[in-house]
Amino acid sequence: MIKLDAQLLAAHAAHDGNALVTLYAQAADNAPDTDSACFYLTHAYVFALELGHADTDTLRARLVKHGREPSD
Amino acid sequence: MDHVTNIDAVQRPISQANGLPNAHYIDPAIFDEEKHALLFSGWAGLGVAADIPDVGDAVPVTFLGMPLLMVRDKSGAVRVFQNTCRHRGMILVEEPRKIEGAIRCPYHSWCYSTDGKLVSTPHVGGPGQNTHDGIDRALLGLFEIRAHVWMDVIWINVSGDAPAFEIANADLMARWADFDKPLFHGGADSTFQLEINCNWKLAVENYCESYHLPWVHPGLNSYSRLEDHYHIEKPDTYAGQGTLVYRQLAGENGEVFPDFADISDKWDTAAEYITAFPNVLLGVHRDHTFAIVLVPEGPEKTVENIHLYYATDDTDKAMRAKNTRQWKEVFSEDVFVVEGMQRGRHGPKFDGGRFSPAMDGPTHLFHAWVAARVAQHRATKHAAE
Repeated sequence: MIKLDAQLLAAHAAHDGNALVTLYAQAADNAPDTDSACFYLTHAYVFALELGHADTDTLRARLVKHGREPSD
Repeated sequence: MDHVTNIDAVQRPISQANGLPNAHYIDPAIFDEEKHALLFSGWAGLGVAADIPDVGDAVPVTFLGMPLLMVRDKSGAVRVFQNTCRHRGMILVEEPRKIEGAIRCPYHSWCYSTDGKLVSTPHVGGPGQNTHDGIDRALLGLFEIRAHVWMDVIWINVSGDAPAFEIANADLMARWADFDKPLFHGGADSTFQLEINCNWKLAVENYCESYHLPWVHPGLNSYSRLEDHYHIEKPDTYAGQGTLVYRQLAGENGEVFPDFADISDKWDTAAEYITAFPNVLLGVHRDHTFAIVLVPEGPEKTVENIHLYYATDDTDKAMRAKNTRQWKEVFSEDVFVVEGMQRGRHGPKFDGGRFSPAMDGPTHLFHAWVAARVAQHRATKHAAE
């Protein structure tokens, strides 16, 4: 996780949106509970949304599944 | 300074009229009044569609102190929004850029689609909770400003209650129907900017009349004499002047720009230069058009954004550059005049001046429009009070 934190900080510093989507999704996958996972998923989704990233719909669907985004 | 000016004399017949009082050029309070009466209430020019040619292009602009965002949305339509997040009022886009997906506020990352819908409100209900009963996304889209594109100019109606653009400008659109077809911006070599120390109205006034041409643009005398020009006057809508002896720009081997297709024979030798009130100066010729959008930056400062257009997208680069140089020279010749008139309006005894009844009709028509709109604005405000 320390390594992931460092990678996230580097991606933020570089304004590397694609990396942020990937790394935050990875952080969500490694999270210990649903709330933590949704926190990271939200970040992954927002950066994906900004970029028009191919994973946008998938990330959104995961948040919808947990009641964190509206379903429509 | 008295902030309520006497404008009755402006609306007299031209032979008896005075121009607008000095305060309309130098007083910040009158500038602010005219902002509402003249620029926000009708259809004002903001920029050109060529500023945002591709889907997702976004250009922030400040118009009369108001932060706006011009966007080419995902469907290709031109939209203008207030460049302000609905959450905490943060500026959304600082510099021209491409919106690949959504507009993300750099503060708390609320996101908007290019058509202005609020599409994401991260953590708004707490960490990882992206909805809240108190936040209805459907009601919190970006504030959109009414916009219309004509002659590639992006026109906006800030007040939101002007008649539709096609109604407000029906007469001018009919007059220039020949040019209601694709206009191809010449690109980077066909745009330039002039920063001028004058009130925006002086640029309009100078543009509307041909009276000054032999004195300020002596180069025109050789082929375009004063008597070859005519006034163009449509009360409350537009004013300008035309020439009967337009001569095409020719290259070293006599080559010319291609003509716009299917235009009337009138344009073989005619060209027209019209101000669409309030702030857009337009010119049409058989082979090119131009648009000058005046951006009022204060009572005594104006930026002119000039764009040249052609009938095809493959015009010769050197020819375009030559045409741009020629127009830049002409427009630059006018700078000392409008800046001189600006300084002249600090003379307290100046009474707005008089008009040549024969030569200043279009300028007086503009003054009369300003006076009528200001009077109407004052009456409405007075009634509301």
